[in-house]
Amino acid sequence: MVPVDPALVMAAIGAPVVAGTATLLLPRGRTSLRVLLATCGPLASLLFVGAHLRRYGVASNEEGTTAIAWVPSLNLDLGFLVDGLATFFALLIAGVGVLIVLYSRAYFGSDGPSLARFFPALGLFTTAMLGVVLADHMLLTVLFWELTSISSFFLIGWDRDDEEAVKRATQAFVTTGLGGLSLLGGVLLLGDATGSWRWSGLVTGASDIGSGGTIVAAFILIFIGAASKSAQWPFHYWLPGAMLAPTPVSAYLHSATMVKAGVFLLGRLLPVFGLLSLWLPVVVAFGAVTMLLGAVLALQQHELKRMFAYATVSQLGLFVCMYGLGGATDGHGVSAIDWDLSQIASHALYKAPLFLVAGALAHRVGARRMSELFGLWRRRVPGARLLAVILLAAGYALAGGPGTVSFVAKELFFGSVRHAAGTRPLLVVVAVMAVLAAMCNVAIAVRLAATVFGWRTGVGDAAGASTHGAGHGNDRWGAVLWLPAAGLVLLQYVGGLVPTVWNSVFGRLEVNVNDEAFAGGLPWFWEPFLHPGVPLAMSMAAIVLGIALGCSALMRGQVDDVHDRIYPESYRLILRYGHRAFHRVQTGHLRHYLVLMFAMLLLSISWAAWIDPSMLRLPDGLAPFESLSGLMLGAVVCAAAIALPLVSERVVRVLVLGASGFAVVGLYLVYQAPDLALTQLMFEIISVILFLLVLRLLPRPDRRPRISPAPRLVLAVLVGLVVGWMTLLAGHAAEQRGEEVATLGEFFEEHSLHGSELTDGHGGGGRNIVNVILVDFRGFDTLGEITVLATAALGVWSMLPGRRRHRDGGFPRTVPGVGSPAGIDSLILRTAVQLVFPLTMLFAVYAALKGHDGPGGGFIAGLVTAVGLCTYRMAFGQRAFHRLLPIHPRWLVFVGLSVAAGVAALPLLLGQPLLRSGSATLSLGGEGLHLVSAMAFDLGVLLVVVGVAVGMIGRLGEELNW
Amino acid sequence: MTTVLAICVTVIVTVSVYLMLSRELKSIAMGVFLLGHGANLSIIAMSGSPVLPGGGLRQPPILGDGILVDALPQALILTAIVINFAVMGFFLTLLVLTARNTGTLNLDELALEDPPVASPELEPTVDGGPGGGVGR
Repeated sequence: MVPVDPALVMAAIGAPVVAGTATLLLPRGRTSLRVLLATCGPLASLLFVGAHLRRYGVASNEEGTTAIAWVPSLNLDLGFLVDGLATFFALLIAGVGVLIVLYSRAYFGSDGPSLARFFPALGLFTTAMLGVVLADHMLLTVLFWELTSISSFFLIGWDRDDEEAVKRATQAFVTTGLGGLSLLGGVLLLGDATGSWRWSGLVTGASDIGSGGTIVAAFILIFIGAASKSAQWPFHYWLPGAMLAPTPVSAYLHSATMVKAGVFLLGRLLPVFGLLSLWLPVVVAFGAVTMLLGAVLALQQHELKRMFAYATVSQLGLFVCMYGLGGATDGHGVSAIDWDLSQIASHALYKAPLFLVAGALAHRVGARRMSELFGLWRRRVPGARLLAVILLAAGYALAGGPGTVSFVAKELFFGSVRHAAGTRPLLVVVAVMAVLAAMCNVAIAVRLAATVFGWRTGVGDAAGASTHGAGHGNDRWGAVLWLPAAGLVLLQYVGGLVPTVWNSVFGRLEVNVNDEAFAGGLPWFWEPFLHPGVPLAMSMAAIVLGIALGCSALMRGQVDDVHDRIYPESYRLILRYGHRAFHRVQTGHLRHYLVLMFAMLLLSISWAAWIDPSMLRLPDGLAPFESLSGLMLGAVVCAAAIALPLVSERVVRVLVLGASGFAVVGLYLVYQAPDLALTQLMFEIISVILFLLVLRLLPRPDRRPRISPAPRLVLAVLVGLVVGWMTLLAGHAAEQRGEEVATLGEFFEEHSLHGSELTDGHGGGGRNIVNVILVDFRGFDTLGEITVLATAALGVWSMLPGRRRHRDGGFPRTVPGVGSPAGIDSLILRTAVQLVFPLTMLFAVYAALKGHDGPGGGFIAGLVTAVGLCTYRMAFGQRAFHRLLPIHPRWLVFVGLSVAAGVAALPLLLGQPLLRSGSATLSLGGEGLHLVSAMAFDLGVLLVVVGVAVGMIGRLGEELNW
Repeated sequence: MTTVLAICVTVIVTVSVYLMLSRELKSIAMGVFLLGHGANLSIIAMSGSPVLPGGGLRQPPILGDGILVDALPQALILTAIVINFAVMGFFLTLLVLTARNTGTLNLDELALEDPPVASPELEPTVDGGPGGGVGR
């Protein structure tokens, strides 16, 4: 049995966002209640993960589970993996999350609106982080990963009125977001190459993922994703930049959680990619560079939060380096990584307090810079000494002094480096870098202490130190300003002085326990001194050098990080060159775009012909001219088309366009398509009317010299030949198709009337296959299509809003001297329409009723009706027409769409699929009338078509006052 | 019959592309509508010739006796014709509005009136960042 309880895990992931969002429901001003509710989120997660650990223990990293099949076809499922790594991170995230919620109450004071906005974002972020660490499906991890980027954007740019903060938030978002895209690419490559979309599956099959090009590319892409999130060089610039965030955010995101996501990912990847020859050099190199760079920069910062941010960068580099070393094995195949989770926990337990105290100092003492802390110990500000103690205790852990977990952790890391350097001498460089980085950390701690106590070696002097307090947060929640920090830093010392406690908590979660010396857990802090070795020597060297450096005058200035320019510079370059490229491509001339598109068409076809030259051969067995009528009609079509550009009189042009359309009607008849012929016929009538109407509203063309026709003609002929040739090939292929090849058309033919097993016994219930396809087989398409029609008509009506009628019922004249509201004054036309109109309507009814079994249907009936109405309007004018159809055509469209959608949705209520049709036969004396529910759908289509056609023509007609 | 159709499609597409490359919006509109015919004819060619090899004709796609033509291309074209109609109404209305608001249907003059959006002043602030360069 797989020891994972999906419900418990999902509850743990979801709790923070649910609680955070629920705080929005509380009335304003209930701040305490709000804080308590928000605390419930991470607290519930903590309890759920704890309960899971208690009930199921720690799974191995090969035991994932799928809780809910979400989108299996996309390899995206809700599957979770609750191994030691995931449990550890989940506990860390939820645990620190509880403290951060409480601390934020003290930090923001009783500022209700701020807290109201803060908790939902924090809850979303906590959920996203928990999702990242608990997900088993790789795409689910990516999904939550992106969610952390998005939610952290809200948190970093929390102070939305501060332009700088928003900029830095954007910088962080873009950097980590791009990293997320890289991660997605890597995951896709990895999943595609291995066929396993789950981390657990990859661990099981780790030995045979090989080291092919795809795997290496996947590794590099995923590493870029992890490096950008975990602020590795050269992406580290976003982390110090994000220090404009509120302190709770800095403490949470930038020490305990978000930046650890990349480290977590490396922990996940170690069993997968660890044996890759590229793993060790790439991961160790980036980690080591970041480690040293961060430490050196941290020492030379004067602003507290920036200093801690660079120290975090340094420590993240160390973690990355540590996982990189995990890829190194000695002669016995023992991997050079030990107790990595304790290492990470140790960092969270001093870095979060450092940030929390920095925020508290800013509040209580008004000190944001080192120099403002000078002589803090002797100030008469309430709580100053308490904060100083916590600050120095955490600083001592930062330095890795004996007695803290951090000391042992550092020993472990030095041990790993030494271990790995045994087989790879080049890693001695990393050992030196590690000592130097540790030295800088010690120097920071020394300077912190000297400053706080007001010694001469401290930063700043008594004159420069401010003595006033900023002081709010002294209400009953005031204690949470320092309590979380104190609690966290206390664990450092508990773990450091009594490692058995630490081991009982973390021992069971640790996966990477390789060295026999640590099999029993972290050692007592004196043990390194009893068995001195290279690691202890490195530690001592770092401490001695660090104290010396801290007291010296070296590296005291404030330096700027050159990497801070990476983002603004690239942003500027992208804008500048993007702007140029934009102008190059977007000329604003339609002709250029068209030429580009047609050229692409020609190019792609030429490329296809290059690959498969046989497509250029004339197919065999072409029967050129079997049908004389077809030949004649084709000639008319061609003649009309060729005449079109040659004629200059615009009315004639419209008629010529119509002529080619009517010839196409004939071609449809030759092709045995009565439905098409009817539709096209009506369409041609309406379009000629429309075009002639519009012509009168348009200005006369100017007589300027034409564009030189030759290049146009060449391109046009080429495109024409290509499309014609494709038509020939396609038609020929259809003709030469053997009987054994099944086509979709045959399927429709078989199921048009009666169903078969393929369709669960449901047929279309009609004999006119075309109509059955439209209203039944592909009814959903048709529903979409009439929606498009309605949208187009809405567009026309809104672009040309109708004018109000005059009070006396008359119509305003818009185009002088054209038409009259009384229609065209022609006796012949009126007499003819009086005769033809009822017949037209009768035919429309017939076509609508018989459409399912013979030529006809909603589209045709609708168009016929529209043509009839339009001729009526032409003959008798607007007023008579409004008497005939007293409502605005949009009501027809509305009713039609509703009917069609209703008929489509009705089967859903009966528990059947969308658009399933039922049928009945109505006896009308002699011949029975076959009724199918799809006919009601067709009625909706009819109404929409009538409304759209009449509405469009009527609207344009009104413009002409005709 | 396929040959006839192929020739028709060639001619129609040639003429419509020629018209679409012109300077007048009205000609472009005609080119677009003509292209619709070409596309529809191209699709119906895929149902194969209605003339059977032994002589005689296939029957329209209405269940009965005889060999029927393929109904699927017809259903597709029927849809296409109606959509064409909507596009046409919309396009013509746009023409009317364009002519009314600008007084011209000449593409070159229209391009002068409405240059592409990005402008040279779009330089970001010195320290970059999104505040400096968001488009207007």
